[in-house]
Amino acid sequence: MRSCRRQGLCLIIFSVSLHAQLTPADRQLNLDSFEKVWTTIRDTHWERNPGGLDWLAIHQEFQPKVAGAESLDEARAAMREMLSRLHQSHFAILSATVYDSVQDGAEGPGSSGIDLRVLNGHAIVTSVDAGSPADRAGVRAGWIIVNANGTDLDGTIKQLSADSGVSELALTRALLARLSGPLGGTIPASFLDGSNVTVHIKLNLGSPRGTPATFGNLPLQHVWFESRKIDRAGYIRFNMFLDVARTMDAFGKAISACQECDGLIIDLRGNPGGLGAMAMGMAGYLVDKPGLRLGTMYMRDTPLSFVINPRQPGFTGRVAVLIDAESASTSEIFAGGLKDLKRARVFGTRSAAAALPSIIDRLPNGDGFQYAVANYISEGGKPLDGVGVQPDVEVRLTREALLAGRDPVADAALEWIRGKGTP
Amino acid sequence: MNRRLVLSIFCSAAFTVSIRAAEPELPTAESVLDRYVEVTGGKAAYEKRKTEIATGKLEFPAAGVKGAIVQYSAEPDKYYSSLDLDGIGKVEMGVIDGVAWEKSALLGARIKQGDEKAQALREAHMNASYHWRDLYAKVETAGVETVNGEECYKVVLTPKEGKPETMFFEKKSGLMRKTTLTAASPMGDVSADVTAVEYKDFGGVLVASKVTQKAAGQEFTTTIENIKVNEPIPAERFELPAEVKALLTKAK
Repeated sequence: MRSCRRQGLCLIIFSVSLHAQLTPADRQLNLDSFEKVWTTIRDTHWERNPGGLDWLAIHQEFQPKVAGAESLDEARAAMREMLSRLHQSHFAILSATVYDSVQDGAEGPGSSGIDLRVLNGHAIVTSVDAGSPADRAGVRAGWIIVNANGTDLDGTIKQLSADSGVSELALTRALLARLSGPLGGTIPASFLDGSNVTVHIKLNLGSPRGTPATFGNLPLQHVWFESRKIDRAGYIRFNMFLDVARTMDAFGKAISACQECDGLIIDLRGNPGGLGAMAMGMAGYLVDKPGLRLGTMYMRDTPLSFVINPRQPGFTGRVAVLIDAESASTSEIFAGGLKDLKRARVFGTRSAAAALPSIIDRLPNGDGFQYAVANYISEGGKPLDGVGVQPDVEVRLTREALLAGRDPVADAALEWIRGKGTP
Repeated sequence: MNRRLVLSIFCSAAFTVSIRAAEPELPTAESVLDRYVEVTGGKAAYEKRKTEIATGKLEFPAAGVKGAIVQYSAEPDKYYSSLDLDGIGKVEMGVIDGVAWEKSALLGARIKQGDEKAQALREAHMNASYHWRDLYAKVETAGVETVNGEECYKVVLTPKEGKPETMFFEKKSGLMRKTTLTAASPMGDVSADVTAVEYKDFGGVLVASKVTQKAAGQEFTTTIENIKVNEPIPAERFELPAEVKALLTKAK
């Protein structure tokens, strides 16, 4: 599998070096790719005139450029220029190599139990699931992951970060995929521990944390939910907005158990989203006035308001929402909407700016094509897609804090709930 | 030049008149709706129906989501339905004594208001298609259109409260094949296209057993598998859930 990917890379490099000899078949593949990009936007964009443009005129302008391209790079550049006219995020052409790296998902459900973030150009362990293979092997938060399954992670970070089409979210997912594989398999990995000493570990791969849950055609997901008290504050964290019956029940019970709390922390860091309606359902426990909205999703001819239906028993104390660049989609709708309504204070770093599930398709010429089919405007009047949720209080994780067993983001939220720090 | 313009307008008008004269006369909306009642079972068959318990399934094919549905209806306008969707759980809806409500694990309990309430009350009406005169203030035939290859009379029905609905009745059979409407929801008004096929006899009345709805970029199909007619339904079935009663008390 890996060697095939390397061969693919060689072939692409080879073809780029011979760009002057683009065959008629290659030219046709580029033209087919152009037609797929243009037609997809014509048929699925939320505006009848995408970006306010005369889309037919755009075809007339760019089709000859792609037809006359002497290389794949030139054809790709013409298509990228066409997309740039939209001035909208989530419309991108990814080169085949980048597409492969980003789409190179987990090769199995097996998990090492490690979560990571890219901090200062390194993949840093941010948490280790209790009892997981990595926990048993002694891996700790703050360690640097140097190599996983033969892949130099610093090099991968450098390569993917250089492409503007690759978001931090996609980068982290691509790195996490290197730490997964078949259940019962092993992954050789090397780390720098807290003292910067190299540690080589063969990580066994076990079942991911959480309960298996299915929803329609989505692949099987493991969903977990945790809630506890930290001093006089409630703390809620769950890994995705799925498994409605269990997650909503657990959320409602956590709210009920926290009626006397001074505040509530809802930690959405690393939460990629899920079912959008769950954001409305959960927000219902945090507001007592009917008719409030988290925002509006604009599909072609149909605006859909994310209306909050107040629920009992609700929580009326301070609410802090924690986010980071891995908080996407429904997490952003929830955090952004409550922030705009001034019902929650948001801590952490800017969210993924992926409020909408954009689609990435393979084009006939091998490149990837990313596009969004709706726009989402948060209640404050700003789009979330491409912009994300900017926290009220920006707090970054650091390797030093992780090694010391601290969580500076949750600490800042707790300080605020206790009535200290910025109001 | 002005004379030419006038002439041109005159010619256009004359052409329009001649086209209109060639058109066959459209039947009245009343006759189309009454014919539908007739071809689906007739007055006597509808009047015999006092309760219905319908069971079936609902599917969102593109998303791969499906679930089981059961609906209870009783004269004149009592209604309760429960939809159990895989991965989402139960969504219950009901209408009783003029209160239209909804309850789910996802969004909690709420009471419908405005156009959404009016629509729910209309749809809760037992034998709604037979009682169309009670539900709509105005009906008119707006033309002929082809639906799935069949010529249909296009009838616009304006309810006493809420937005107009357009129904398409097949010329040949008299059966209703499509409805276009603006569905009121808490998320806003959503344009919907509803097609009805596979009419089957359930207790003496023909009912479209497969109904496909396209709205907000999504498509779902409801398949009615069985309808028990005039089975006793315990009164508790239509009672308001405790959460809805609490909302009503709070609103007072």
